[in-house]
Amino acid sequence: MFGLDYSWLADPAYQNWLVTGVINTLELAALSSSVAILIGMLGALGLSLRVFWLDALIEFFVEVFRNTPPLLQMLFAYFTLSTLGLKTTDPVTGLEVPLLSAFACACISLSLFGGALAIEAFRSGLETMPKAITEAGRSLGYSRWARFWRIEVPIASRVCLPSLTNILTNLFKTTSQASVITVPELMYYAGQIYNDTFRTLEVMILILIIYVVLVSILSYGMSRLEAYLTLPGYGKGQ
Amino acid sequence: MKRSEALIEIDNIHKSFGDFEVLKGISLSVNEGEAVCIIGPSGSGKSTVLRCINGLLPIDEGFIRVGNHRVHELRSEKEMRPLRHQVSMVFQQYNLFPHKTALENIMMAPIQVLGHERAEVEDRARKLLEKVRLGNKADSYPGMLSGGQQQRVAIARALAMQPEVILFDEVTAALDPETVKEVLLTIRELVDDGLTCILVTHEMKFAREVADRVCFTDRGLIVENAPPADLFDNPQDPRTREFLGQVL
Repeated sequence: MFGLDYSWLADPAYQNWLVTGVINTLELAALSSSVAILIGMLGALGLSLRVFWLDALIEFFVEVFRNTPPLLQMLFAYFTLSTLGLKTTDPVTGLEVPLLSAFACACISLSLFGGALAIEAFRSGLETMPKAITEAGRSLGYSRWARFWRIEVPIASRVCLPSLTNILTNLFKTTSQASVITVPELMYYAGQIYNDTFRTLEVMILILIIYVVLVSILSYGMSRLEAYLTLPGYGKGQ
Repeated sequence: MKRSEALIEIDNIHKSFGDFEVLKGISLSVNEGEAVCIIGPSGSGKSTVLRCINGLLPIDEGFIRVGNHRVHELRSEKEMRPLRHQVSMVFQQYNLFPHKTALENIMMAPIQVLGHERAEVEDRARKLLEKVRLGNKADSYPGMLSGGQQQRVAIARALAMQPEVILFDEVTAALDPETVKEVLLTIRELVDDGLTCILVTHEMKFAREVADRVCFTDRGLIVENAPPADLFDNPQDPRTREFLGQVL
């Protein structure tokens, strides 16, 4: 059809690469998203404590990781973490190898990038918290920490869920940049396949479809979560 | 420790917000089982007094004792915890947690803060819902309840802490006239049960019927403090007379 040749898809080696690529992409996305959400919550909690030096530190972190290209961050992590002396000797080959694999570097850099964006999202959620809710929590004897986890996070995360969906879908797509530092995820194997087969257009169309499907599943899941968490009488639940 | 036998003792407290001095030396003592109403114009410091009693606001100067707790000496939330157990508060805007059902709102703090056993707390919470006549609303979220119903859940939530004192902060001010009645009825029953209550209110008729004593505050001071019959029928201070002339 349209002169497109997909006969290479019958080759088990390429099928295997695609499957491995998808699995690695999913792993990378799941790991870095989870850590990013955690960083976002802790960062927003830190900001809510209103401690001068902590505020400055978190603001600096957010500015650096939000205002630089994620690709640069990933290359930076990959090359600096290995040259900073984080090396180990491979017991089998006796060669000196970086302690952190390319996958680990990609995971760290994506987590920090997503985390910086998530801090802003959670912060905006916490800032909409009515003072009355905080006062009720205090008058019932909740400590700062307990109030944060048991009252503020459940309410704020509902408020910031739409922007969190944006951040997570973006983070998912950004995992493709890990191919540059040789993480064998979907984009990396796509390159391998078209270098082998010279079927660039066909491979790109297929990869595009795979990304559309994967990210659609993610955003569908998030919209279901949003519907599930909607509070009767508030927002969409009215 | 105690200067008098009163359950709550407030002596000459001062509190400023920036340059504005809200409380200019308030003194008040409340005995166990007493219901005291605080009335007065807006901005006279009524709600601020309540917030100082349970330590939500730190005072600048003065002495506050509730039971065995010297409130003005408590510094951290952790030190406040035994006080929170003894003193509950009900707010003008109900302040229920919107992500929890009525029953869960009542059960949360006794389990999570006081560490009471879940089964026992649930039993207590259901009885309290019955008491405020909302036994059929246990699984409703605050957003599904009317203002009056939410406020009665908030009262049940305050009672679930098994306090010795409840502070009511203009609890009917945000309600429709027809739901005011059901909330006042609930509070009246608590007063009749002998619970110590301090109520900031604009409901003069209610204050007159339910209170053992009424305090009139104006510009950061308690101007007059008397049994309701005396204060309403024979006010001594010209400012009290002027205020009552406007609202009655």
